[in-house]
Order: sequence, then C-alpha cells, then structure tokens
Amino acid sequence: MSATPRDIVIIGGGHNGLVTAFYLAKAGYKPLVLERNPQVGGAAVTDEFHPGFRCSTLSHSAGPLLPSVVRDMQLHQHGLRLITPDVCVTALSPGGRPLSVYQDVNKSAQEISAFSQKDAAKYAEFEKSLDKISKVIAEALATTPPDIDHPSSGDLWSMLKTGRAIRKLGKKDMFRLLRWGPMAVADLVAEYFETELLRAVVAARGIFGTFLGPWSAGSSLVLLIRAAADSHPAGGICFATGGLGALTQAMAAAAQAAGAEIRTGAEVIEIRVHNGVADGVLLATGEEIPARAIISNADPKRTLLKLTDPMHLSPDFVQKLQHYRGNGTVAKVNLALAGLPSFTGVNDTNALKGRIHIGPEIDYLERAFDEAKYGHFSRQPYLEVAIPSLSDPTLAPEGQHVMSIYMQYAPYKLKGDWEQERKALGQTVVQTLAQYAPNLPERILTHQIITPRDLEENYGMSGGQVFHGELALDQFFTMRPLLDWARYKTPIENLYLCGSGTHPGAGLTGGSGANAAREILKILKK
Amino acid sequence: MAGSYDVIVIGGGHNGLVNAAYLARAGKKVLVLERRYVLGGAACTEEIVPGFKFSVCSYVVSLLRPEIIRDLELPRHGLEILPLDGTFTPMPSGDYLWRVNDHGKTHREIARHSRVDAEAYDEFGKAMQAMCRFVKPILSMVPPDPTTLNPRELMKLLFIGRRFQGMSSYDKYNQVQLMTMSAIDFLDQWFETDVLKATMSASGIIGTFLGVRSPGTAYVLLHHYMGEIDGAFRAWGFARGGTGAISNAIADAAREAGVEIRTQSAISQIIVKDGKAKGVVLSNGDELYADVISSSVDPRLTFTKFIEAQHLPGDFLEDVNRYKYRGSSGKVNLALDALPNFKCMPGPGAHLRGAISISPTVEYMERAYDQAKYGEFSRRPYIDMVIPSLTDPSVAPPGKHVLSCFVQYAPYKLRPGLNWDDQKEAFGNTVIDTIAEYAPNIKDIIIDKMVVTPLDLEREWGLSEGNIFQGELSLEQLFFLRPVPGWAQYRTPIKNLYMCGSATHPGGGIMGANGRLAALEILKDVKGAA
Repeated sequence: MSATPRDIVIIGGGHNGLVTAFYLAKAGYKPLVLERNPQVGGAAVTDEFHPGFRCSTLSHSAGPLLPSVVRDMQLHQHGLRLITPDVCVTALSPGGRPLSVYQDVNKSAQEISAFSQKDAAKYAEFEKSLDKISKVIAEALATTPPDIDHPSSGDLWSMLKTGRAIRKLGKKDMFRLLRWGPMAVADLVAEYFETELLRAVVAARGIFGTFLGPWSAGSSLVLLIRAAADSHPAGGICFATGGLGALTQAMAAAAQAAGAEIRTGAEVIEIRVHNGVADGVLLATGEEIPARAIISNADPKRTLLKLTDPMHLSPDFVQKLQHYRGNGTVAKVNLALAGLPSFTGVNDTNALKGRIHIGPEIDYLERAFDEAKYGHFSRQPYLEVAIPSLSDPTLAPEGQHVMSIYMQYAPYKLKGDWEQERKALGQTVVQTLAQYAPNLPERILTHQIITPRDLEENYGMSGGQVFHGELALDQFFTMRPLLDWARYKTPIENLYLCGSGTHPGAGLTGGSGANAAREILKILKK
Repeated sequence: MAGSYDVIVIGGGHNGLVNAAYLARAGKKVLVLERRYVLGGAACTEEIVPGFKFSVCSYVVSLLRPEIIRDLELPRHGLEILPLDGTFTPMPSGDYLWRVNDHGKTHREIARHSRVDAEAYDEFGKAMQAMCRFVKPILSMVPPDPTTLNPRELMKLLFIGRRFQGMSSYDKYNQVQLMTMSAIDFLDQWFETDVLKATMSASGIIGTFLGVRSPGTAYVLLHHYMGEIDGAFRAWGFARGGTGAISNAIADAAREAGVEIRTQSAISQIIVKDGKAKGVVLSNGDELYADVISSSVDPRLTFTKFIEAQHLPGDFLEDVNRYKYRGSSGKVNLALDALPNFKCMPGPGAHLRGAISISPTVEYMERAYDQAKYGEFSRRPYIDMVIPSLTDPSVAPPGKHVLSCFVQYAPYKLRPGLNWDDQKEAFGNTVIDTIAEYAPNIKDIIIDKMVVTPLDLEREWGLSEGNIFQGELSLEQLFFLRPVPGWAQYRTPIKNLYMCGSATHPGGGIMGANGRLAALEILKDVKGAA
C-alpha cells in the first residue's frame, strides 16, 4: 500500500455512520465515509419514484432523533425542517369509527372517551407510567453496555447511575419495568384497555419490524425501547421536509462542516485484515484505502462475515454471529396518488396527517404473524401508512399525494420466490387498504414495491431486517449484537461497529452512532 | 372453639403437605384441610376404572427436591421412584426418533438422523448441566426483593451476581440466552433435525400458553431439564403406585411428625380481624382457629374467594387479578386391554417404557398453538404419553395397561359459542384419533377412558383456569415477581397469612420447594415474634 493511511474510514453513509463521522470529526479526526449508493442516507433517503412525486423510500419517520444529536450536529442550521403532526396516529376500523390519538394526552383521552370512559382514564395513567419508565430506559440506551467479564470503574459507575435512576422510579414503577420487559404486548395492553382498536394500535409498536406477534412474549420490550424515543403510548410520526433524505443530507452537511469527507458511489467489498488487525478497505473499483481505524455502519453479519474474511475470527464467534437473528418481516410499498383517497369514517383530513394504522384487533395482528411463521406473507397484513404530502406539499404536484406504506408480515424466508410474489404483495396491500378507502385503487398512478429481498440487495440489510438484527430480549443491551461484544469493538483490532446492529439499535434515533463515536474516541485517544 | 392450632394449612396437595411436615417437625401443632376425599391435589392416584389406578393429573416426577426426600425420609414412608427410560417420537413418515438414557445408543440413534446433531447433542447436554447448576440454588432460595436496600436482600442479589460472574463466558452466554429466547430459537443454534427440535422444544411449553417460537420458552425447557432423581440430571421417573404415592409418603411423614390431616374438609372463608388472619370457616360452618394460616391453593382462591376484598389493599388485589393462569393443557387417561402397537416400531418393546411423544415437527407444534390462540383445542395436539403399568404392574390388572396422555393445547378459554362440557367428548376423541395415526390399534383396545379438561382441573382440583402450575411459568411471573411483585417471599399483606403453593417461587411441578421455603419463612417470623 502506497497511500498514507487515513485516520478513519467509515463504511456506509447511513444515519448512524454520519452521526459517528460527525462526532469523530468534531474531535479532530478526519474520517472518510464511503457510501456504496449515489447518495448517502442508507434507509433514510428520498427518491423521485414517479415524475414529480418524491417519497421517503424506506423509513418515513425520524425515530424521533435524540435531541442531543440534533443539537450537537446543528441539523436545523444545515437545512433540516422537522414536522411533527399534532395527531400521532389514526387507527382505522372496518366499517366502524376510527380512533385518533394525539400528541396532547388530554385530547387523546377525550377522543378515547367516545369508545370507553374507562380507557380514557387509563390512557392518561399508562402514558404517565410509560413516560417515567421510558426515561430510565432512554438513559440506559444512551450508555455503553458494561463489560460483563471485567467491568471497569466507569462501567460500575454507569451501572450505578442506571441503578439509581431505576430506584428513583419507586417500587411500583420499578416492578412494572421488571415485569413489562418480558411480557407479551397483548397482555400489557389488556391490563390497561378494553377497546380492541386502542389495544391493537398500542400493541403494534411492540411488533413493528420484528418477527414477533402481539402474543409473543418479549414484544413489550420492543414497545418500551420505542417509547424511550417517544413516550406517547401510541407513538407519533416525525417527517422531514423533503422526505427523510433531507435528514441524512443535513447530517452529511454537518459531518462535512466538521471536517469529515464523504465519497458516494464507493462500494467497499473487503475489509483488509493483517495479523488480526484491520488496516484498510478494498473498493469495488480495486482501489485500496489504508486506515488506522475502520468503522462499519453495515450490519454485524455483513461486516464480519461478508466484508471480512471469517478466517480472522474464532470459529466460536463466527458460529454465534451466524445465529444472530435477523430475518426481516417488513416490506415497503410507495404509491403516487392522483388525489387524496377518502377513508370511510374519516371526515377531517387532519386525522390522516399522522400515522394511519391498519390492524384493528390483536387477533388480526396475530393472524397476520401466523402466516409469516410458515413462510407466507400475510393475506390480511398489518399496515402502517403515512401520507407525508399532506404535511409537506413539496413532495407531490399540487392536489396529488404520495403514500408510504409499511407492510408486515413479509417474511424474508418465503416459501416461493420474492420476485414472483412481488406483484401479489402489492395487490394485497392495495386490496387491504381499499377495505378502508374504497376509491384508493382508482387514484393510484404508480407503485413502488420493496421486498425484504430488495432491502438486502439494494440497501445491504442482511436478511432484509430493518433494524440490522431482530430487536429482542436476547439481542438487546449487553447482547447486541453478541453477549460481551456490545461495546462497538469487534474481535478484530481497529475494526468497530456503529450501525443499528449495536446497542441501542432501534430506528432512526442516531443512538448507535453517537454511542459508538464516544467509545471509539476513548480508544483512539489512549 | 372447635380446636386451636399453631398452623392451619389450606390444601393437602404436595406443597401443603411438605409445608405442614416441616412446620410440625419444628414443633408446631399443624392441621391440614383438604377439600377432596383423597390427598395430593394434582399429585394423586385414583382408581377411576375398577382395577386401573390412574395418576389422574400429574404423572411423572423429577423435580422433587432431594433435600425434601432426605429431610422427610420419604423412602422410609413408602416412596419408590421407578425409572422412566427415554423418549420415543413416532413420525408420520414411518420413521421415529428414540432417545434413551444409554449415551451410546442415543448417539447412534441421533446420528441416524444427523451426524452433526449427534455430536451437538453431547455438547448440549453438558451445557445444560452447567445451566442447571447455576439455577438450582436459586430454586432453593427465597427470592430477594430487588427494590429495597435491605442488606439481606442485597446479599441475595449479590450471591446471584457472583454465581453468574463465576461462570465461564461460554456458560454466561448460554444462560442469558436461556432466560430470554424461545425454545426453538435456542435449539436452532444446536440442531438441524426437525423432529429432535420439536420433541425437545415440547418441554418448553408445558403449562404455558406460549408456542415453541415464543421468547421465554427456553427457560421452561430448563425448568424441566432440572430433574434430579437420584442426583442424575434430567432423569424422570414414576412413583410406584402412581403419583399419589408421593403425596401419601409426604402425608405419612407429616403424620409421623404430628400433623393432623382432614380430608373432605372444604373451607369457605379465611377469618381476618384487624388485618390479621385468625382462622378458617369450613363449608359446614365450623370455625377453626390458628396463629398462622398457610394457603397452598392459588392466589385467586386465597385472596378473592376466601377473603373479603375489604381486608386487602387495592393495589395488591389488582395484581392478584392480573396474575395469569390460562390453562393450556388437558389429560386423557385410558384403561387398555393390551399395548398400543406403533406402525413405525410394531410390537411390545422398551420404546413403550419411556415417554412417547407426539411432536413430529416444529410446524406441528406451532400449528397446535395457533388453534389454541383463537380459542379452540388443537385438532392435532402435542401429546406426551406414558404407560406406567409396564414399569409398575400394580396399577393395572395383569396383562392390562394404563395409558396416560398429557395433551396440549387445550385452552381454558374457548371461543364464544364453545364450552368445555360440550367439547369434552370431542377433545377425548381428537386425542385418540391423533394417537391412532401412529398406533392404529388404539381404538380397539380401549376399555374405558377418563378425560380431564382445563375446566375439570379448575372445578375438581381447584386449579384456577386449569393451570397445572397454579399460574403460568412466564418470565414476568417468576422469581421475585411470583405471584405478585413485592410479595414473593411467601408472606401476604395480611399478617399471619402465608402462601406455600405452586403459585410461589420456584413454581410448579412436583418440587415441594415452595412448601419447604414457605415453612422456613413462617418459622422465622414465628420465632421472631416469640
């Protein structure tokens, strides 16, 4: 190798890679971000999928982002405009009255009281407990998981701090935290609510993106992790003007302003390792870039089993990583619409500005999951729909709209071939929606269908798993991605992880990237 | 006053009897009140069909704590455990999987299905033993209260922490996985043979309303792995004379220690005055008084049937009502004229002496669960069968046999429009039809049958919602959360009232640990007061 080694190479310009790049640059290093695609952003990108129609191709909601990340990166100065609609979510009911939940608890309670007075009161109570508990979890998510075998004094201190925060909850909420984690989310919502629609819309947060149904134990944990970013029981939505691509563009601008360099269209095909030490990357073009440290925003399996020759790892580690669970269940469908469809029972367009939830009963959600267990996509799927053009008219020509739909469950491991099932998947989604918005089909100008297979091939997500690995009790905290490898290091010296496959990992929060940067800086400064 | 005792134990199941025996051995005057005509609760033997002795509910034993066998000298009181060797899984293809206690044979048998799995099986056994060694002392310990700073409680947490730290990182990894994963996800890491995974995962769902793919079931797998008859891990056995013989031996030990036991003595109320338990009212109106009341029945009966709500804090009562039972299993006991003849291994043989498991594929297990989720019993259920009469001829007339079938899933709550009284017959037939697919002669050799539905378990044995463990063994209902967060140390908000049944730590199965630990806590308090 002739070139002088770079300080740091970051593989992948997804949001976590950009966050890590920013913090490292701010600390005086010169990280180089290498992104395979023509634009940075990973799963947070905006594409014009039909002339005049732009849509957040994959993720349609910012996590919400960690406030510290937004502040440190001064994303607003770099052009980011976030829109948080007043309505969190509207849950549709076939033939019945839809239920809207708002950012404002009292307004939500008022709306819920039309279904059940009892639930209205319970909603406020649940929100209060969830708010307290999720704050403690948020604190744990922002720390680096401790070293299990040899906890350092810093580890003990942060464990003590977390312990103190937990103690401050008081006996009742402390027990709630302990009890809720391993529970089935269907049980948790049943403890609070009697209205099936409300149960279903809250429970859906516990299954989103996972290979779990609402009756699967441990789904409550997923709800808690998501509540750490947004403690509304039903969870809201947060758009970026111009789609989520604008968010990662702002992040890229912030990172560059701090001194990071970004190269797009630069695909890393190998991480070079000599004597157990990573010392460079090889691009698809044949170019080699030597580096003192390599940080991968790609998922753990892709990083360590594909980009690295596994012979540099112990067989035991390889075996464990192969068992890191990450078979995706989410497909994405984006629609360009000639006009806004009318949803039965929805009289106020404002109700459609938040998330639109389709999955009216717990059993509906569970049945959708049942099919995925046996390798079929759900015939009556659970859908999370957003119409971002209602809040951001720049996305579509006037009077026209884009609709962004998460479809679950679409198992990565399908009995059959995803290429052949692609069309059927799109039809199922449209037919399901048409049960709630009968005139939708005639308004569709075009549709874009992204299967779990596409997520793997085009976005590098192993198994099409949107979180870079199933979010579950056994793959959380000190176990993400593997027990005792939760501190952003890998068994290969100078090779680090910063993507969603590391703690805390859930969604577009920037948490993994920020935590990774902090840990890596500690090591680099030694 | 009709009589006065130091302690009245409600319920003469195995935990109630163990509790009574330990208290009496410490010099207390103890009375046990049992509602049924026979002792043992769900660990009972009954001659339902003349000449055939059924272990009506619980049918095998392995978890009975060795210290209890020792302390109460149960062998001297007639307890004899006969080995149950192996698990035989017939497959629809005509093949089978037959694991026995003989290491070499099992290795060869698994290798017939997969060489890799045969190797992994040995490793797996070793790993599970290490896990059991970690969990075992926790079974014999009163759960700590994690919310207080009381040094005694902190020491207990520290003890667990130290033991965890003391494990190798390999064992830690397995332990953490076992506590958090689903049985299938866990087994997937070890094995590739579907039938092996299906049969092994079955012990992860027993007594829970979870499928083999649901997180938390790996722990239940471990719970069932922990058997230690004669010190050998994972050994299951029969009691000579049926499961009731275990209860009878404990009852004998208790009587010898001075315990008075009354059967057919149902209670209707626990007398509470000024926040203290004073005694009980029998259903015939008699009142009996004692310094301490120890209840081995489940929290629903104890706190919502026998005690008026006014005596309990609202929060506590809310938690009691929230505690999940959700029975998911039933039992079919058959009196047979001859032995069942399996298509895949015809004729009599050693394969009939162990457990016979109808669990041919992982998908079979999962589909059985799917039906139960929506309120129907499984059309093709998981069945765990044993033929105790082969090992213990005393339970059936010469040449005839008893076949005991544990069946899952049979959800207590059926969907609207169905009820168990109407479904009972169909349920029994489904079980027989399922067996007939593997052993077609079964229908010709049945002399008589007894079907036990979850509703029967509730009505006859007082197990709320038919849960055989007095409450689901799910992670959120274990250890310091069992049965109610903050009340896991056998005490209750009512002074002098204790819990000693399976609804307390360490949970269900014929362990006896609950009864023993509760007795030790009661003795601590009583001594403290004196």
